Amino acid sequence: MTTTLTTPTTATPARRASRPRRPRSRRSNVLTLGMVAILVYFLFPLFWLVVAATKNTGDLFSTFGLWLGHDFSLVSNIRETFTHNHGEYARWMANTLVYATVSAVGASALATFAGYGFARYTFRGRGALLGLVLGTIMVPTTALAIPTYLLFSKAGLVNTPWAVILPSLVSPFGLFLMWVYARDAVSDSLLEAARIDGAGELAIFFRVVLRSLGPGFVTVLLFTLVATWNNYFLPLIMLNDPGYYPITVGLASWSAQAVGGSGANADLLACVVTGSLLSIIPLIAAFVLLQRYWQSGLSAGAVKE
Amino acid sequence: MTAKRAGYVFVAPFLVLFLLLFMFPLGYAAYLSLFKDQLVGGTVFAGLANYTRALSDPQLLQGAGRVGLFFLIQVPIMLLISLAAALAIDSGLLRAARVFRLGVFLPYAVPSVVAALMWGYLYGPSFGPLARFGFDPLTDTLMLPALGNIVTWEFAGYNMIILYAALRTVPAERYEAAAVDGAGPWRTAWSIKIPALRPALLLCLVFSVIGSFQLFAEPNLVQRLAPNVINAAYTPNLYAYSLAFTSQQVNYAAAVSFLLGLVILVVSYAVLYTANRSRR
Amino acid sequence: MAQVEFQYIPTFSITKSLVDLRPYGADANKSKFVDWTWGQVTGPNGEIFAYPQDTGPMGMVYRADLFAKYKIDVPKTWDEFAAAARKLHAADGKVYLTDMAANETGAWHGLMWQAGSKPYTVNGTTVGLAVNDTASKKVADYWGGLAKEGVVATDPDFTDTWFQGLNSGKYAAWLTAAWGPVFLGGSAKSTAGKWKAAPLPQWDAGSNVSGNWGGSTTAVIKGTANPIAAAKFAEFLNSDPESAKMFNTVQNFFPATTALLADPSFAAQKSEFFGGQQLNQLFGQIGDTVNKGWQWPPFLDQSNQDWTETVGKALADKADAAGATDQWQQRVTSYAKDQGFTVNAG
Repeated sequence: MTTTLTTPTTATPARRASRPRRPRSRRSNVLTLGMVAILVYFLFPLFWLVVAATKNTGDLFSTFGLWLGHDFSLVSNIRETFTHNHGEYARWMANTLVYATVSAVGASALATFAGYGFARYTFRGRGALLGLVLGTIMVPTTALAIPTYLLFSKAGLVNTPWAVILPSLVSPFGLFLMWVYARDAVSDSLLEAARIDGAGELAIFFRVVLRSLGPGFVTVLLFTLVATWNNYFLPLIMLNDPGYYPITVGLASWSAQAVGGSGANADLLACVVTGSLLSIIPLIAAFVLLQRYWQSGLSAGAVKE
Repeated sequence: MTAKRAGYVFVAPFLVLFLLLFMFPLGYAAYLSLFKDQLVGGTVFAGLANYTRALSDPQLLQGAGRVGLFFLIQVPIMLLISLAAALAIDSGLLRAARVFRLGVFLPYAVPSVVAALMWGYLYGPSFGPLARFGFDPLTDTLMLPALGNIVTWEFAGYNMIILYAALRTVPAERYEAAAVDGAGPWRTAWSIKIPALRPALLLCLVFSVIGSFQLFAEPNLVQRLAPNVINAAYTPNLYAYSLAFTSQQVNYAAAVSFLLGLVILVVSYAVLYTANRSRR
Repeated sequence: MAQVEFQYIPTFSITKSLVDLRPYGADANKSKFVDWTWGQVTGPNGEIFAYPQDTGPMGMVYRADLFAKYKIDVPKTWDEFAAAARKLHAADGKVYLTDMAANETGAWHGLMWQAGSKPYTVNGTTVGLAVNDTASKKVADYWGGLAKEGVVATDPDFTDTWFQGLNSGKYAAWLTAAWGPVFLGGSAKSTAGKWKAAPLPQWDAGSNVSGNWGGSTTAVIKGTANPIAAAKFAEFLNSDPESAKMFNTVQNFFPATTALLADPSFAAQKSEFFGGQQLNQLFGQIGDTVNKGWQWPPFLDQSNQDWTETVGKALADKADAAGATDQWQQRVTSYAKDQGFTVNAG
């Protein structure tokens, strides 16, 4: 690629510190109102979800969607969701947590390691390898999923957590982000200083560079966390045992069961809605909590510029 | 360890897994696409027959045209919203900008399964603000815009964050220079911020190419609500999926997927090329 | 072991995935099950691929209160049904006599079954395909016509909208299987006590035939390490009287065993949701009228998909449904040929 594409968090301290000096204009009410309209658009389906989770199945189909029903059934819905089928939902939550965190940490670590390698070292085949990896960002998921399934099946890995975690450890996009980030965020002087001190390359990485790469690492972590948490297609084809399902596949299976041939499970619909609501809370909480990490500039404290 | 060898050490773990989990299955898929597996008769070598079949397959071509149209319309609209939101939040003219930043981004945290559930209900003819106006989006003509809406809702925030983060790296000196020249917030946005966003916009554009042409989850999940509108070949990716799992034609599915990947590659490079050429 | 619905048995047997249960004493159980079900689990060379578990003979459940309100008599023939549909919709434009879901291949095949259609004939790797035979065209023409007139709805079933329709009285009747009533009990609680059940309307006055929708079996998968245990357990699960009874009382399955169907206490059960009607007795009688000799193809998923995109779509678009059956035929035929089957196109 001949264009330079910047990454989200390549802010340097000098630039960040001087932002507040930008002249603060008057607050615009018109603009704020416009943005409120946009915000409503993005939030009202979530509002529907919250309201719907307070209804039982009967009310779901007979009362106005955006306001409360006749009974306030949130607590009983939550209870029902967690106890249905011997606490299946809690198992799914735990699975999702495990798959997502292991994959995210693993993928970010690998991407950071490799991104740094591609960015700061020259070696034979570097350009070709990098181009190859970046090119695969464009590969459609279906092209990969089925052959991966067939290969995993031969290796006896199907229907195990590894079937979901292993493919998620490779994130070409994560590599791309870290490569671009590592090019800009790590200062040469820092590296020179460390090398002059006689530190080995790995030591340099772990003790010096990693701190600079922090925000980038967290960004990749968050994005791979979301991708694996919300992944539907891969676990759908890899897993048969409901005990291994993540929440996405679990909810979809409940949704299908609720309309299954012998409809004794119609009550499940309230659980699907409540389960959906509960499933997005952890990610949203993660976003809110990790927010400050993306935006924090970095003090490359060891070097005086 | 020399610096040269160090490079290999750093990239090796990633590359090993990449080889095993990407290249190997990809190669296997390429291999599969050269064969044909029948319910009666087993597996037969077919050469490029699957590819020639795909190139003249009316269902595939229709699906491809559909996602092309989707791309041309949904993406500009979504990026406009993302851009407007990013600029507004960065402008300093908003009250409680952080609330907006988080709120607009929130839909990204919602899995497509849940998004389809929510919008499916909201689109429903019996309830739904749209139904009040006699508006049923789950029809032949309106399905694509309806899906476009869901995708915009899901990803505008994501693109906005990318643009916003890029805005934050604009050096303050440029703003000071503009202020000295007497430029107000709108002029600043137009002359400084938007040009500075060029690379980030390009990034968003390329991702949108990939996302649009690979459209699968949303039509797949909305299909149960409008099974006569969304057919098995509605998008090329959906077609590959139903070929593999409903029609048991895994080999043909592999060929279709490869062709799709090729189209995505070509369009992405075309976009980048055009962007580069139009640089003054 | 696996629970396999009747219609999918050929899909699994063509890939030789099911164990033939004859070596494990399957033949001895034939008389325990309703006879058309035994035909469904039998292969082309007499193999027994599964034990029937439950069935879905089709009948008609209707809102007795709405029928009374609009002065509709319970239709006994399809002609009467059509007239009732027109009368009802003319009286109230928001109400339909029924919803013929444009994506419900199960119910549709059941109706074809009732009409005497023989769309699929399977003999190993030779298949006879006639999804557009006279009976099938008759069914398509009938429903396509009603859909075109706008007197029946074609909304996809088992969706939120459809549930709402059942609750609000938008659909006055539902052509469904024996497991349908229990469904209503769960998702249309507000309409309790207002429903009644009757046999399906007939094509010829005085005849009494029905079709089947759904129902499942227990089969043993090849590759099992314990075929004997699996086969014997499957046999026990589905034919043991206690077990069969539990399937009915706990899971609301409609029985496939002749013993339970003949049990007087089973027949005498009353359903409050249906105003005290003895549903089991009714559906048990209907079960006896299901046409024998119906077969499923080894690629039902493909056929279903093709139906939804041709006939189903014609229904939804109020176009020529009967003509669309020819498209359906053409699609399944070319698929079957492409997959290596020898095809006898009817």
